[in-house]
Amino acid sequence: MLALLALATAAVLAVMLYLPTGVVLVNAVVEDSIPTLAPFVDVLTDPFYFGVLADVFADPLAIGEHLHALAGWLAAISISVGLEYRLPLPFVQFELPIPWVGVETPGVRQGLFGFTAYQAALSTIASVAIGLPAAYILANYEFYGRRTLRSLTILPFVLPGIMVAVGFYAMFGRSGTLNTILGGVGLGPVAFVESNPLAIVILAHAFYNAPLVARITVAAWESVDIRAVETARSLGASERRAFRDVVVPQLVPAVLTGALLTFIFTFMTFPIVLALGGLQLATVEVWIYDRIQRLDYTEAATLAVLETILSLGLTYAYLRYESAQTGLSQAASPPPKEALFPDLQTVLSPRRLAILGYGLAALILFVGPLASLVVGSLTDGSGFTLRNYAFLLERQLEGESFQTQPWPAIRNSLLFGVATLVVAVPMGVVISVLTVRAGRSGTIIDTLAMLPLAVSGVVFGIGLLQGLVFGISLPGGWQFQVTGAVAIVVAHAVAAYPFVTRNVSPLLSNVDPAMVESARALGASRFRALLDVELPLVASGIVAGAAFAFAISIGEFSSTVILASGSESYTMPVAVERYLGRRTGPAIAMGTLLLCVTAASFVVIDRVGGRYEL
Amino acid sequence: MTELRLAGVSKRYGDTETSTTAGESEAEAIALQNVDLTVNDGEFFTLVGPSGCGKTTTLRTIAGFEEPTTGTVTFDGDPMTGVPPEDRDVGVVFQSYALFPHLSVAENVSYGLKFRAPPAGLTVDERVRELLELVDLEGMGERDPAQLSGGQQQRVALARALAPAPELLLLDEPMSALDARLRESLRRQLSRIQSELDITTVYVTHDQAEALAISDRLAVMHDGEIEQIGRPKDVYREPDSRFVAEFVGDNNVFDGRVVDHDGERATVAVGETQTRVTLAGVPTDATHIAACVRPGALRRETTQNQLTVDIETTEFLGERVRVHGHWNSVPIVLRLAEPPSGETCSVGFEPEAAHVISSSET
Amino acid sequence: MKRRTFVGTLGGGAIAGFAGCLSREDTGDEDENGDANGDEQTPDPEPENPDLEGTLEVVTYESMVDGDNPAGPWLKDAFEEAYPDAELEWTRLPDQGINHYINSAEQGESIDPDVYLGLNIDDLVTVDDNLADGGLFRELNTGRIERSGRIRDGLDMGDPHDRVLTYDTGYISLVYDETEVDEPQTFEDLLDPAYEDALLAQNAQTSDPGQAFLLWTIDAFGEDGYLDYWQDLQDNGVRVLDDWTESYYGAYMNEERPIVVSYSTDQVFASAEGHDLSRHQVGFLNDQGYANPEGMAIFEDADQLDLAYAFLDFALSNDSQAEIAERNVQFPAVEDEYVDLDEEFDQYAYVPPEAVTVGYDDLRGNVDDWVDDWAREVASQ
Repeated sequence: MLALLALATAAVLAVMLYLPTGVVLVNAVVEDSIPTLAPFVDVLTDPFYFGVLADVFADPLAIGEHLHALAGWLAAISISVGLEYRLPLPFVQFELPIPWVGVETPGVRQGLFGFTAYQAALSTIASVAIGLPAAYILANYEFYGRRTLRSLTILPFVLPGIMVAVGFYAMFGRSGTLNTILGGVGLGPVAFVESNPLAIVILAHAFYNAPLVARITVAAWESVDIRAVETARSLGASERRAFRDVVVPQLVPAVLTGALLTFIFTFMTFPIVLALGGLQLATVEVWIYDRIQRLDYTEAATLAVLETILSLGLTYAYLRYESAQTGLSQAASPPPKEALFPDLQTVLSPRRLAILGYGLAALILFVGPLASLVVGSLTDGSGFTLRNYAFLLERQLEGESFQTQPWPAIRNSLLFGVATLVVAVPMGVVISVLTVRAGRSGTIIDTLAMLPLAVSGVVFGIGLLQGLVFGISLPGGWQFQVTGAVAIVVAHAVAAYPFVTRNVSPLLSNVDPAMVESARALGASRFRALLDVELPLVASGIVAGAAFAFAISIGEFSSTVILASGSESYTMPVAVERYLGRRTGPAIAMGTLLLCVTAASFVVIDRVGGRYEL
Repeated sequence: MTELRLAGVSKRYGDTETSTTAGESEAEAIALQNVDLTVNDGEFFTLVGPSGCGKTTTLRTIAGFEEPTTGTVTFDGDPMTGVPPEDRDVGVVFQSYALFPHLSVAENVSYGLKFRAPPAGLTVDERVRELLELVDLEGMGERDPAQLSGGQQQRVALARALAPAPELLLLDEPMSALDARLRESLRRQLSRIQSELDITTVYVTHDQAEALAISDRLAVMHDGEIEQIGRPKDVYREPDSRFVAEFVGDNNVFDGRVVDHDGERATVAVGETQTRVTLAGVPTDATHIAACVRPGALRRETTQNQLTVDIETTEFLGERVRVHGHWNSVPIVLRLAEPPSGETCSVGFEPEAAHVISSSET
Repeated sequence: MKRRTFVGTLGGGAIAGFAGCLSREDTGDEDENGDANGDEQTPDPEPENPDLEGTLEVVTYESMVDGDNPAGPWLKDAFEEAYPDAELEWTRLPDQGINHYINSAEQGESIDPDVYLGLNIDDLVTVDDNLADGGLFRELNTGRIERSGRIRDGLDMGDPHDRVLTYDTGYISLVYDETEVDEPQTFEDLLDPAYEDALLAQNAQTSDPGQAFLLWTIDAFGEDGYLDYWQDLQDNGVRVLDDWTESYYGAYMNEERPIVVSYSTDQVFASAEGHDLSRHQVGFLNDQGYANPEGMAIFEDADQLDLAYAFLDFALSNDSQAEIAERNVQFPAVEDEYVDLDEEFDQYAYVPPEAVTVGYDDLRGNVDDWVDDWAREVASQ
């Protein structure tokens, strides 16, 4: 049974993942049906892509020359200690008197890859920095709406890029919501976006990814065994020291998972960078997309292969690390939660004030753009209006059958979401089971199984199109084609199962293997032991993975649009894009609908799923 | 009831293949070399040895969690090659109890009854009640495992393993996590249950005292091989090897050169000073021997083979004291009724009290 | 207004509900349509009894069908009324736009739609760069399309193979806030310190108005001069955002900057939405606007050839031209005497004194390099 499931998973991956990506990536290494590495040489030695490294790639043996260049660069660095440091944040207009070591480096040409990695690294740092306090609060304090808030942390994940971009402009623009509020108290207006586009792009990345970091970390935090902390305290560790020595090591794998995912996602970022930062901040993915548009599949595939190698390499490094982190305790007794605001006096303590401050900042960053979006859908030049919603209603009631209607979009999204969950959860669990106890070969399989995260969405999309929608000619005049609703679900499941695996694997590796063996000795087959023993014990990971799978499905766009060859199979994000015209209101209204439906779904998933958590 | 036989069982791990097993971490997954043993029907058989000796691997091979690289495991003559654990009809109890935390005590005990019908026409509930009674846990069925003490949890694990009336009971260090007093009482309980049920039992432990106390027969393992198989008192009294002599019980082992042999007794020179001692049972053609004398055989009142021991530590054990020291640069352990006064202590042993472990000519 | 983003939609055959299928290609070797070969004769001679029965499949961009008050449904109803035995079926332009059909043609797949509504000049260039010259669409016999003579001079797309007829056009212009800046008169004005950090443009790789604006600068400064001009524009702080929506609805409408590259019909929307028109002033650099004519063409192996010709003619009728223009908020392709537009439309939609466009011949073989050179210039880190 388990073997059958594994076989089915392998078949799905072969058809819906390896075939389409292979179809495109083969362009990178085959030219006129002759294997070649020339495209790689071209890209690696192009300073536009690799900046200063291009020279090194071009002539790797001229070590003396490269060292000379490096020495010249090092000699040009000047270090100064100043008292004035201006935080590189757009909204800090005043100079902070912070002693700061200024390092002046002569400009280094980063190239497209260098800049992409640079902004991804900054985005990762920002996402972790913003996500961790949220995890701390959610894991350690009890307050009204905590569970709901925790459910909603996944929400940003499903939003189409265009919605987030428009939301950010509506919140942080010069006439946006934040400036309107600042204006109310006599401040501003502040050009948040203009003064530092990179910072805004990074914030937008944090908008997507900080909740991810928070969600994964909260789960780990809640499974810290309080007895270990108490033991450390009894051995003389201060509260802070016990936190550092006992809690932090148990959080690190989770934080690193979040950081890794964030880095990979932001490395392959596309719409957000160009929408908020502009072409000046272009990333590799932008060029992949452009090459595909220009039908230059060779260069697109070459860039994509390099991108994928980088992502998979990081993933492998991380998984090696993760597999070394064995023996995390099962949540025998999770830490108790403190009331956030028990009384007025406590509210004024420094820690509570810091939490309040963070809450305010989070409100601005996370709720602000979404709320501004909703407001935008309800206003026009003359104030409050319902015409955008009237458009949706009218389209629903009076629209022609060939037009895109809101309800089928909602229905399809929910149906595909549930179906994705049903397919992706078994796939993800099977891969977890196969890899968790398989040593180093397991790590390699696990890494390959993470491929959907590491392959450029643009490449995957074009691969689906070329490999599956157009079909592949087989000998004898047969044609292999895959389209339609089932294909959409499977494509979503392929994109989603890595989240199930990443949520389940760490928990599964903590399950005492003796339990499975006990069950087997008692007569249970391997599959039965999985169902009866392991799955109930990793239920919280499965629920978390299921929520992600649902979210991925709801938010997925590029392969949906390619596979939805029947106009009946469109989803909410597809509807948003179809309504996007010169008048943006209808699309924003549809986006608001997407927001509400998804938020409601997550609350339900977490509530229902919560019953199965131990 | 079942006779278990291992014939020429070897287990090798490839360079890449690693196995993380229940009792042992990855590094300790131990290869087996040519293990032969037979466990008789209804026998309580123990595999004993230090950590890493292969005893757990042997047990896991019997249970079907590992397949031997070569050799066969047979139950009553039926080869078990390729038979998965769930079809072997064995009951297994682990050191970590491995109770299913999401199931109640009764659900744990009844789990195996989903796959094998309860014996003798009992209903599942009756069988569970019977087993809980057997392990003195009447009325605990509704509890969660986490609410029980370690000893109680281990008894639930035992009840769970026994519920389907397996042909073979396999216990992997089941008591190591318990405190000494509890261990003793549980050991007695286990003995009672085992003989009551007359079930063929293989017990793995690193504790030689436990092995001696509980087993019908035992096998001492070392580096993946069996050093000796026998009844506890035979293994204790007549160890086949230096390893067994030193591992099973306290012992005093020394090497010597045979300087004279009168056909019955040999005169042997021991240690730096070549002190002469007289031993019985030395082969007549032996030139070098290793022999051991149990601490209890070294007595103050014995005048033969007098040794003067430099005392280092004295442990008070209640009825006796245990003294560690050196004689003639041979480490010596004594068991005396009274703690010695002074820094040295003279003891002697009878030539027949020594057991020759090994001998060689030249 | 076709949006050339990755986010197009896929319409077409309703084969929802199944995932995989193995199908046998139709291997019956029917004769290739002989029409493409008869270069010297008049293509598609008018038949005695045109077959005006059946279903005409027309592929078009999504806002023609799904936008706010779209022209598509009107066209369908009106066409079916005019040709009672015909049915018009809309197909959404697949993701990848024209590339989809280029790929299909390359792989020898049959192409279902009969008519393509919404073709740009550079689409034709892409077709000819990748397929045989004059491929994918039929050479039209304009003699069969009576109203083709009504199309204004200057809106001809310059296709040497006569595959396309223009049905409407837009003009790319600047839209600015007169309370913040004066109207820039020339391209050089935009380099003035008064316009520092003032201009929002779009990525020519992905956005139609973005590419149009780039081509406009190439028209103004020549192939050899436009990159220098863009270098200067960059020094003066131009921001190149991805697409029209975020640059206009996102950045411009939230007052990030006072000038945006947009359409000369901007005030039609602004007045309908009740915005103050001072932020919606239309500026024509060098008294020009860049024309983006949209055309229609018939696929090479169209099943409903007669109906397709009928549709092309129908799209140029008075009513169609007025409805397409007003609903799409574009300008009609025909001379003024053949179309009656609402006064309001006339009032708010501006036509530049001079329309410029880079024609087929100049684009052919160049446009990809121009865009690529430009993008590397802007994106260089």
